[in-house]
Amino acid sequence: MKMSSTITYVRNYLARFLLIVGLLAALASWYFVSPQVDAVANTMNLWNMNIYNFTLFVGLITIVIRYSDGIRKRVKNWPYMAYGLVLIVGWIIMGEYLGLYSDFYQSAYLSTKITLHIAILGQLVFFLVSASYRVVRIRTLRTAVFGLSMMAMVVLNAPWLLGVFPAADKISYWLLNNPSMAGGRALLLTGGIGGVILGIRLLLGLERGALKSTER
Amino acid sequence: MLSVMFSMVSEIIQPGKSAQLLFLLLIGILGYTAYYLGTKGRTWEIRSLEGLEAMFEGVGRSAEMGRPILVLPGISDMGSPQTLAGITILGELTQQGAEIGVTTYSSNADSGVLTASEAVVRSAYAAVGKPELYSPGKYVRWFGNDQFAYAVGAAGQILADNPAVVVYLGYFLFDVIVDGETGNSIGAVQVGGTLGSMDFMSVFCDYILIGEELFAASAAISKDKNTIATIAGQDWVKLIVLGILIVGTLVSLAGSDAIVRLLEM
Repeated sequence: MKMSSTITYVRNYLARFLLIVGLLAALASWYFVSPQVDAVANTMNLWNMNIYNFTLFVGLITIVIRYSDGIRKRVKNWPYMAYGLVLIVGWIIMGEYLGLYSDFYQSAYLSTKITLHIAILGQLVFFLVSASYRVVRIRTLRTAVFGLSMMAMVVLNAPWLLGVFPAADKISYWLLNNPSMAGGRALLLTGGIGGVILGIRLLLGLERGALKSTER
Repeated sequence: MLSVMFSMVSEIIQPGKSAQLLFLLLIGILGYTAYYLGTKGRTWEIRSLEGLEAMFEGVGRSAEMGRPILVLPGISDMGSPQTLAGITILGELTQQGAEIGVTTYSSNADSGVLTASEAVVRSAYAAVGKPELYSPGKYVRWFGNDQFAYAVGAAGQILADNPAVVVYLGYFLFDVIVDGETGNSIGAVQVGGTLGSMDFMSVFCDYILIGEELFAASAAISKDKNTIATIAGQDWVKLIVLGILIVGTLVSLAGSDAIVRLLEM
């Protein structure tokens, strides 16, 4: 399946152009003091919002098409798809007419969402117990360092340990405020640098992803 | 002259953000320079990442066991660099798997990520000359725009598809433990990379990608010399940061806050 050269060109360059415009809009008003820059940034942000809303719309259409296809072909679990589709349409109509922040919309949304959350949080206990056992299974040096550090923090914060060893909380605070904070900052720093370099790769078209065409 | 320059800069640039901007420009310049040198033939050897090696081996393992691969790009949207890293790895693994007949599945919590993942998977099948194997909705699933719905849905997917390898690359919160434990229960090899919840990942993952390795993985896996060159640029920036850290520590120990004031400019 060969894409036409026009579509390939559009996919390669238009997406990158939109990215650059979006990035400039975000960066300009963040770094520069100027009413003119702010005015341009505001206009760019409006365009960004339009693009973002468009992508949301594309996502919604993707889901509706997929679920409609699934229901039509009676795939496995299609009744759940039908239920999901009815809910999506229902929520859109309700949100449109009543407003997202109306009491009725919020109550209905939170009632359904929080009930599900509580049900899942209850189950999480069993997963946590199972995970606690797994901490003591050392597989690689890296996971061992992370796992043992986490186990040390859990043990040092246990109420029973404070009774027999009152200095435990001082040790845990020292660990949190020194090696843990330094490690956390290192992760953030390197993660931030990595994120910017990933952005450069995307803009240069080096990453194979949604911004790169199939032909290569 | 210098004071005039400083006052001009302070009029143009937001207070406290000059050093930030300078650093951002520096990262951009070094990243591009490394890429440029790469295009001119300069090559760099990069150390192997154990998580990355495990992913490579995982594709072969999946082929031998006749089981699929599952890639989870997390609960964030396309605005997160972590999600982008996860999606690019999805593309690479899908392509490598497609070449030897291994299926790669994915699921996500955001409709935008769903659309992007579909595009990436379609591209991967087209790139290996097997576009007929791709069908929308077959490889990428969506379980609702909520972290718990995603966690439970992905756990169900792990039980249903029985993958040989599960890759967690993206933004995750503590709900990932549901998927991690489920993956362990079926004996899958698990590779994880994220910035925030590394402690959870380290509990159930066999291999982890720490910090910037998450972003370097997609470049390293491609084995393209120009792409790998950008990792060299990333390392130059890390060296500069390391230098600032060391100098800053020494200067602070000497009783001066010059470096702090410089960074707060």
